[in-house]
Amino acid sequence: MLFFSYFKELVGKEVTVELKNDLAMRGILHSVDQYLNIKLENTRVVDQDKYPHMSSVRNCFIRGSVVRYVQLPPDGVDIDILHDATRREARGG
Amino acid sequence: MSWAGPEDIFLSTSLASYLDKKLLVLLRDGRKLLGILRSFDQFANAVLEGACERVIVGDLYCDIPLGLYVIRGENVVLIGELDLEREELPPHMIGVSASEIKRAQKAERDATDLKGSMRKRMEFLDLD
Repeated sequence: MLFFSYFKELVGKEVTVELKNDLAMRGILHSVDQYLNIKLENTRVVDQDKYPHMSSVRNCFIRGSVVRYVQLPPDGVDIDILHDATRREARGG
Repeated sequence: MSWAGPEDIFLSTSLASYLDKKLLVLLRDGRKLLGILRSFDQFANAVLEGACERVIVGDLYCDIPLGLYVIRGENVVLIGELDLEREELPPHMIGVSASEIKRAQKAERDATDLKGSMRKRMEFLDLD
């Protein structure tokens, strides 16, 4: 539940999602769920020329199981709060 | 950071907003399916009506009609909403027939196989 709660805090921020098939999409995080499925809005593919079929896609749903990385804005992370939450989760779980 | 409240149990990235819309579905095997979403579930299983597979080889493309499709969610990579005001494909791309795109696919496969076999022949050199 920790990362689900963490991503909920990031809704509205711009993130870049890199998928296991090497496709990378930049967009505004619209929503996330317990499976860490991600919905992005205002999407742009990072390497547009390599993926011509994606040229008109602006909103998308990404299945959580295919995400490799979620790249965040450097100021999007409060490391201390994340540390505390992780310690609490480790103690409780 | 806040913790999950009672209302968050209902928070989900729902595909409901994509119902009855023309979508692009990327599959794990690299295929691109287009169609209208008629149904989905919690596993991202989906029913696409009027589905077609868009095969792209270089600057050539072809839409192969498939009909009514049920997609198992584990194969889904991405479901994208197509913006009707934008061109689905860059203008330089050329639409061709199914037989022509199959020929182009075979040519691409043969080129990749040739590259692979040449690399294998060079392996004994142990250059890396």
